[in-house]
Amino acid sequence: MANQNSKPVKDRGTFHGRRAFLKATAASVTFPYLIPASAMGNAGATAPSNRIVMAGIGIGNMGRGDLGSFLGRDDVQYVAVCDVKRDVRDSQANRVNEKYGNKDCKAYRDFREVMVRGDIDAVHCATPDHWHAIIVIEACRNGKDIYCQKPETKTLREGKLMVDAARRYSRVVSGGSQRVLEDYRGIVDACWGGNKGIVKSINVNVGPLPTDCNKAGESVPDGFDWDMWLGPAPWAPYHPHRCSGSYSIDGTSWRSFKDYSGGGMTDWGAHHFGGATFAIDVRELEPEEVIFHNENGRKFATCRYPNGKLLHHNHPGRGNLDVEGTNEAGPVKPVPGYAGTGGIYGDFIDCVKTRSKPFRDIEYAVHTATVCHLFLIAYELERSLKWDTARQQFVNDDEANRLVDVARREPWVI
Amino acid sequence: MTSKEGTTMAVAVGAAAIAAGRAMAQTGSAAVDTAFETLKTYDWGSDREALKPIDQAIIASHGDPAARKALEKRLVDALAGGLSRSAQDYVCRKLKVVGTSQSVEALAALLPAQETSHIARYALERISDEKAAEAMRDALPKVSGKLKPGMIGSLGVRRDAKSVKPISGLLGDSDGQIAQTAAQSLGLIGTPAAAKELSAFAKKAPANMKIPVADACLVCAERLLADGERAAALALYRELNSGDQPAHVKVAAMKGMLAATTKQ
Repeated sequence: MANQNSKPVKDRGTFHGRRAFLKATAASVTFPYLIPASAMGNAGATAPSNRIVMAGIGIGNMGRGDLGSFLGRDDVQYVAVCDVKRDVRDSQANRVNEKYGNKDCKAYRDFREVMVRGDIDAVHCATPDHWHAIIVIEACRNGKDIYCQKPETKTLREGKLMVDAARRYSRVVSGGSQRVLEDYRGIVDACWGGNKGIVKSINVNVGPLPTDCNKAGESVPDGFDWDMWLGPAPWAPYHPHRCSGSYSIDGTSWRSFKDYSGGGMTDWGAHHFGGATFAIDVRELEPEEVIFHNENGRKFATCRYPNGKLLHHNHPGRGNLDVEGTNEAGPVKPVPGYAGTGGIYGDFIDCVKTRSKPFRDIEYAVHTATVCHLFLIAYELERSLKWDTARQQFVNDDEANRLVDVARREPWVI
Repeated sequence: MTSKEGTTMAVAVGAAAIAAGRAMAQTGSAAVDTAFETLKTYDWGSDREALKPIDQAIIASHGDPAARKALEKRLVDALAGGLSRSAQDYVCRKLKVVGTSQSVEALAALLPAQETSHIARYALERISDEKAAEAMRDALPKVSGKLKPGMIGSLGVRRDAKSVKPISGLLGDSDGQIAQTAAQSLGLIGTPAAAKELSAFAKKAPANMKIPVADACLVCAERLLADGERAAALALYRELNSGDQPAHVKVAAMKGMLAATTKQ
């Protein structure tokens, strides 16, 4: 949960100067963002007590924690849970019903049944990463706001589609890294407070890279919809390590494997790079180049932003979130923060009510994930790449462009 | 796990991965030959590291068309050699990166089968050669059930204008998944012809298709606008900003109209 002791200065007006690719979504820059919820198709959907009616999708592991944070709020009414594991969805439905002392919370196996319910205002999603884009876009097209766990995207192409969907339908879509503000506040304050002078670069140490998974099949546990768990990912036989939600990234969880995750690069990278891009104030930008280094077999990489700032990954001799600045008196800017109370969850709920952009707006979250994917592709191809932020393609590199997305397993398409 | 512990663990494992990569970079052609031999008996549970020399050869052959073509041929030949599903999966993933028109016939042969259709598209969808799209267009009428929306989706992602007609014919399919994917893909294709088909179907769409078709129309309109087809985009937006569309769709259409009328 958020540290509420040092309430940050609100700054809701810092969304000018976006990258050109978002300008292509003309609607997002030609129409005011603040539109009453009632005009967004939510009329009559909220409870009479003004509570936000919510559902959770993917409610094991991290989703269980997210559910608890939303369930503990007086301004939220929880009505549905969804998971491909029967024991998980049943236990979490019971948890909700015990909290309210009724049987109103329904358990679903298929998230599409949740999305078409007209009485639900908002959902949170904590499925494995390969599902995020499909679920976020489906929520938006059904007029629902959504809080999506990090890392928000599995491929580069997904990011623009998610932002487009959010803007198209004026949805509140929040990414799910609470650490961006809460873990790195000290370095953010130093940079935004001018203590580092003109910031030139920052380094992030994070890993490991994801691997391929070729584990032998085992019997699918009773009550586990394996086909739905795989969803858009290539078919593979069930193995407990393939789908374990453990936070380890050592080959014993889905976070380790390319089909479902970007490994530590995206899983922890969503936090670290999110904090780093916040600290050096490039949240609104995407890098235009990723430079691959191989110095005597020591591989590392650097993203260069259009304003010249550098974001290193595993730079030799640099510590994590290590900022390089001119160390003279630099410009001072107020640090943006959460709305409402209750950390990142409260920020989301407050924004659902006020139709404001959340602190971890999907655009910022996608930009962070894009950094992670650019690094992953540069490491996979072992070469430097130029990224056209407007066209969302690599420049003159057909091979790299093939890695911008993956074909999804039927019937899933975005 | 705390942030600090996570970072320490991640850096340690990352360093190990980099060291492993360095070792693999030293592999030669004999290692590649061995890897291709291994592929013949490769199956779920086999050691994935045994195929790493092929991964490294692909990286090393960047900028060397002859070497790349030879490597692609070896992968295509392997695919025709009766591989396990896991080995087919591996080869298709590699052809996603190095495949050209040379690979299309072998990949197209995998499209009709339930077990291999997706992994064939995994490569074909990302191969820019027109023959890759042609293979999926040809397969479209030959596949059924779940495979059909997969094929429709890949053609949509490619924005394959030649698919507008065959996909439009599936808008009224009795299989709701096929019909919805058809609408979605027409939206992704986003040409004036796709817009015309979506617009015509929207007027008679059944209740369960209202949201998918409206969303497809909005996506289509955005793509038309980006491509300079302002009149066609405006026409779609106007249609969506009327009738019994949900409020969030009407607002989206209104925003689109504003964008279409102000975009230079």
